[in-house]
Amino acid sequence: MSSKNIIEIENLHKSYSNHKALNNINLTIEKSKIFGLLGPNGAGKTTLIRIINQILKPDSGTVKFDGEILSRKHIHNIGYLPEERGLYKKMKVGEQALYLAQLKGLSKKEAKNKLNYWFEKLGTTNWWNKKIEDLSKGMAQKIQFITTVLHEPKVLILDEPLSGLDPVNSLMIKNEILELKKKKTSIILSTHDMNSVEEICDEAAIINHSEKIMQGGILELKEKYQENSWTIKYRGNQMSFTNAVWGGWEIISHEKINENTNKAEIRLLNQFTINQFIKGIVDHVEIVEINLKTPTIQEVFIKATANE
Amino acid sequence: MSKIGLIISREYITRVRKKSFILMSFLGPLLIVGFGLFTAYLSSAEKEKYEILVVDESHLFDSILRNSQKYHLQWAPKDKSYTEIQELFKKDDQLDLLVYLPVNLIKTNSMTAKCLYKDIPSTGVQKHLSGIINEAIELYRVSYNKIDISTYKSIKTQINLDVVDIENQANKNIQRKAFIGIAFSMFIYIFIFMYAVQVMRGVIEEKTNRIVEIIISSVSTFELMMAKIIGIGLVGITQFIIWTVVTFIMSLTILPQIIPDKYNPASQLETDKILENSVTIDPSNEILQFIIYEIQWPYLILFFILFFLGGYFLYSGLMAAIGAAVDEEADTQQFLIPLTIPMIFALMMAGKVIDDPSSSLSFWLSEIPFTSPIIMIIRIAMGIGDSSVEVWEIILSLFLLIITFIFTTWLSSKIYRKGILSYGKKASYSEIIKWLRS
Repeated sequence: MSSKNIIEIENLHKSYSNHKALNNINLTIEKSKIFGLLGPNGAGKTTLIRIINQILKPDSGTVKFDGEILSRKHIHNIGYLPEERGLYKKMKVGEQALYLAQLKGLSKKEAKNKLNYWFEKLGTTNWWNKKIEDLSKGMAQKIQFITTVLHEPKVLILDEPLSGLDPVNSLMIKNEILELKKKKTSIILSTHDMNSVEEICDEAAIINHSEKIMQGGILELKEKYQENSWTIKYRGNQMSFTNAVWGGWEIISHEKINENTNKAEIRLLNQFTINQFIKGIVDHVEIVEINLKTPTIQEVFIKATANE
Repeated sequence: MSKIGLIISREYITRVRKKSFILMSFLGPLLIVGFGLFTAYLSSAEKEKYEILVVDESHLFDSILRNSQKYHLQWAPKDKSYTEIQELFKKDDQLDLLVYLPVNLIKTNSMTAKCLYKDIPSTGVQKHLSGIINEAIELYRVSYNKIDISTYKSIKTQINLDVVDIENQANKNIQRKAFIGIAFSMFIYIFIFMYAVQVMRGVIEEKTNRIVEIIISSVSTFELMMAKIIGIGLVGITQFIIWTVVTFIMSLTILPQIIPDKYNPASQLETDKILENSVTIDPSNEILQFIIYEIQWPYLILFFILFFLGGYFLYSGLMAAIGAAVDEEADTQQFLIPLTIPMIFALMMAGKVIDDPSSSLSFWLSEIPFTSPIIMIIRIAMGIGDSSVEVWEIILSLFLLIITFIFTTWLSSKIYRKGILSYGKKASYSEIIKWLRS
């Protein structure tokens, strides 16, 4: 029986000798989606990743992989890119990639073929005989990305995959991640880079103080923290704009764009609607543009973790 | 290949291919042979010829004191006093030594002869001088007492004392063999430490770059730790075998080239016109004979490997635990000291063990696993059998070593498992105890 979710976590608990790392975590990760795992430092993300990687055992709770209880046989279906770049500095690129691929269960021949494909794809073919210590951080990161995805795992766990990359390489890796998603790979992206979450994630969960505080689609999360805030671009006098409607709203910011054009950010209070507001100002200024302001994931993150 | 085999071969191959390994493989034997040559040179670094000024107050020695080309005697002018002659000796660059034979020397046994030097003479030269003086006095007394010279020669003997164990009469010169043992125990110490530290460094490397998290998702922490220890241990054995073979080849090829006369006892004899009764064997040649024929090399090499492995497993497990507990090498000091103390202590006690290889101190030090690899090899070098160490003692020692390393490995793997995933916290003994308890 195939499950809709690649990972299902139920009532997961994990404590260390002096503190709780995970407290009653319930989490589902859909197949072929990019899932953002967010949370401040020390929230418990690494512990959760280690449990999925079977480096750590939970105290209680279950983790299911594609509908089955997670076990050793699933190791080959998981690819993990740890945060600190995990490669042997003194080893040659090619040998190292072969070694890691074999550890993930590929035969030497298979590994070689796949490495050739990936090395060509990411333009790293010339590096085969170079030592890792002779590569730049970004180059090493590319190699590590290759070693992580080489065995075509069903689940990829990427911990800060873009940090330290220049914009060109960052885009390249981002595109590779999206391509892998198209090929039905499920991806868990643990990162503090909220822009990339916004750009590529379908869903996200925020963990704080060992607990999951929210989970959902990116838009859904944003809606939760949606405020009744609007940006309005208008032609006319600032005085006329601010005095047009009395009460029911407040101005957050105001900006003069040119001689006659202004941009204001406002928040509507209580039951006051945007229609009422527009009715009020329409005789005094000329409205050019009006938008509902949606929070960024960064704002969602900050608000969510601050509320805790 | 299984994953453990894969890890072992990675640990092994990456190290064996290192330039430093290849360099050490030849530098090590070169150092050993070089050191051997240097000692041989030092002991043979005597001058070709000594000009010796003799002050003979009794005027009785000039006909009977043996003169030779190498130790050339000149007689001091009889009209000058001893103090004047000393001044003369100081000024004359040709003269190396001044021998003073006081007037009563030949008649009494209580007097002392003196040898004044500019550069201190070797013990060989000193022995030669006292030898010829004693010989002269004897010859004088022989003729003084009207004893027939042939009778004297028949009475005069020069015996060697072989110190031999009653139970094992073939085993001679055990103190000298002990020096070979000391050399081997130094090697064991160096090898254990060198390779156990490599285990620690390897663990720290994997921990700091987080690659360990990828590996232990494929194999268990215990498997990774053991694979690393085995892989590096094999590097140690490879290094040792290369050293043995290269040293052997070098000794056979280079040594005779450099010191050919030392291999030919006749060459020394020609230069010295020595009396029949005091013929001596060239010492370096004797040492060679001793090294080739009296040392039980196959046993020594076999037990070296066994005790190296035992000691290495014991210490490397603990080193792996230390590596896992810390974040960087600088933090290892506090944990390393307690590990090095037993080994240093064993090396310090080596002298006492040589003095009395069957004492209870020697027994215990060679049975307690933390010191046994270093001490037992000395006792083995001094002769297996009843004289120095009995077979059951070796078996017991190995058995205890194995039991202990199984225990420490188990202990280490507990620390390793926890430590390898814990970052940022400064490791302390209390933290480690907590890991052991959980």
